[in-house]
Amino acid sequence: MAKRRKSKGDNLVLRYLVLGSWALFCLVPIVWFLSIGFRPRTEIITPTPIYWPTFSLDAWRLLLADWPIFDYLRNSVLAVTGSVVIDLILGIPAAYSLTRYEYRGRDDIGFYILSTRMMAPAIVAIPIFFLFRNLGLLDSVFALMLIYAAVNLSIVVWIIRSYMLDIPKELEDAARTDGAGDLRILWEIIIPACLPGIITASVIAAIFAINEFLFTLLIASTKNAYTMSVALANFTGGSDGVIYNAIALVSFLAFLPILVLIVLIQKHLSRGLTMGAVKG
Amino acid sequence: MARIELKDVVKRYGGFTGVRRMDLDIADEEFLVLLGPSGCGKTTTMRMIAGLEVPSEGEVVIGGEVVNEVDARDRDVAMVFQGYALYPNMSIYENIRFPLRMRGIPKADQDRLIRRAAEMVELGDFLDRKPGALSGGQRQRAALARAVVRQPQVFLMDEPLSNLDAKLRSSMRVQIKHLQRQLKITTVYVTHDQIEAMTLADRIVIMEKGAIRQIGTPDEIYSDPADTFVAGFIGAPPMNLVEGLAENGRFAAPGLVVACPGGVSGRVTLGVRPEDCHVVGEGLAALEGRVYGVEPTGETTYLTLRTGETLFEVKAARDARFNLGDLVRIGFDPDRLCYFDTETGARLRVQPYRSVA
Repeated sequence: MAKRRKSKGDNLVLRYLVLGSWALFCLVPIVWFLSIGFRPRTEIITPTPIYWPTFSLDAWRLLLADWPIFDYLRNSVLAVTGSVVIDLILGIPAAYSLTRYEYRGRDDIGFYILSTRMMAPAIVAIPIFFLFRNLGLLDSVFALMLIYAAVNLSIVVWIIRSYMLDIPKELEDAARTDGAGDLRILWEIIIPACLPGIITASVIAAIFAINEFLFTLLIASTKNAYTMSVALANFTGGSDGVIYNAIALVSFLAFLPILVLIVLIQKHLSRGLTMGAVKG
Repeated sequence: MARIELKDVVKRYGGFTGVRRMDLDIADEEFLVLLGPSGCGKTTTMRMIAGLEVPSEGEVVIGGEVVNEVDARDRDVAMVFQGYALYPNMSIYENIRFPLRMRGIPKADQDRLIRRAAEMVELGDFLDRKPGALSGGQRQRAALARAVVRQPQVFLMDEPLSNLDAKLRSSMRVQIKHLQRQLKITTVYVTHDQIEAMTLADRIVIMEKGAIRQIGTPDEIYSDPADTFVAGFIGAPPMNLVEGLAENGRFAAPGLVVACPGGVSGRVTLGVRPEDCHVVGEGLAALEGRVYGVEPTGETTYLTLRTGETLFEVKAARDARFNLGDLVRIGFDPDRLCYFDTETGARLRVQPYRSVA
């Protein structure tokens, strides 16, 4: 008895050691960024590394005084959230249709949706610029929402579709004989059953959207629509040279919303909500 | 509570015919079992009654109304699925409530109906659980409760017990039959398990390759099979089928000679159930064979005999003990013998042996 407990304890130590090392490995870049963000510029580019830098809020002061950093952050969050909402509104019914209904050309349509992802975005950059100029939507967050949504829709549809394929058809047959119509089946049965897929797709779309650079650079020209990713570029040019500590801070700020999001929904990210639906 | 009729129903999937020309009349309050090997079209037939498949030809009539064009959700039919199909995101209470909600049953009545249905299947204590937190048998009962809660016209059950272990299966069988008798709801039950079919059914429909082979009460199906398929499908172990030659009132096959009705002649197949065979002394034997296997089950002993090219199952006394290779003589119960046309497999309907003699 005592022996067994001891060996279990050993296992636990080993387990935490492995997990801890992995966590360290993953967290080092973040810590490094923070450490760069909080040190003076003079301590960044040195031939010998400085492990315990002088604490400095220079970069913060620069950001807060000279740059509308919270406008950028707001634009990023709005554009990303909006685009994910648009993607879900369009993507969930599309995925459902591609999964369950049988019609001619269904698989071709599915492939077409996926294929939009294969195109290099730069190819359509100029048409998109003119399109949005003619619509009068240049330099607006709304335009960014639409573009991010369009770019990510294919991925959202395909991720959700793959989850929907795993939902047993019996569930829908049961709902139908119980008296539910198509929309109600989608809303009450399918969406809850593939919630992990919807969340996964949303997170992935959000990550892609928050990192989007090309179209944002094209559409945005002032703080009305500048996002974190484009703002970053502002610190690499100009008469001051590359401002590494500001870049590190902005990167960290851009990464923060996603981190918070993932921590909040972590338990949904794993599959398993359909457990118990069928057999077991 | 309704009568169900299938008139010349055909279901085709592209070039494949799932169900061919099916005519079936299911009486009100009847418990009908569709029995057959997998892929015989029994589930497709049931799904056409449910409205989940549209027949390619023919009519489905429920309660006197042709329902071909009626959507599943507007047919007053409840179905229990092989995999239970409980909604994983809802509690058992919500699962049972779902059909009531969909059909706009007043809120005031819902709770009473749900609790009554849950009591019927002894699930009252589990209403707050999610399906994932229930055992297989409990899930099965929850699925039953969801089906009975709204008192449908028709119950459809698609192999509802096939995921349960043997012990649970037999107790659920009793529950299902009791429930059906209590509620007096026309029930169609699909299974490939002949024990389920025999124990549950008022009438059994035996299907093979999309066609009906025989319809009858369990007794009729067992004692009076219409062809070799039914004879070989029903019974465990199934009926012994021996091909041989009939001439002048004698049927002969290697190791087997038995008097047969005069009307039977030519190449025929003899069918004998294992329990209609008796170990007898010399002179009375119709069959002689050497023991190939002995299987005591406790209540009885199954002997497998080798005669000529074929193996022959015999149900012997519980204390019958033989050694492999022993010579055993077997006599038949002459009233119980069946003859089939070897070519077509169809039963030869002739005057029984007794009246000829």
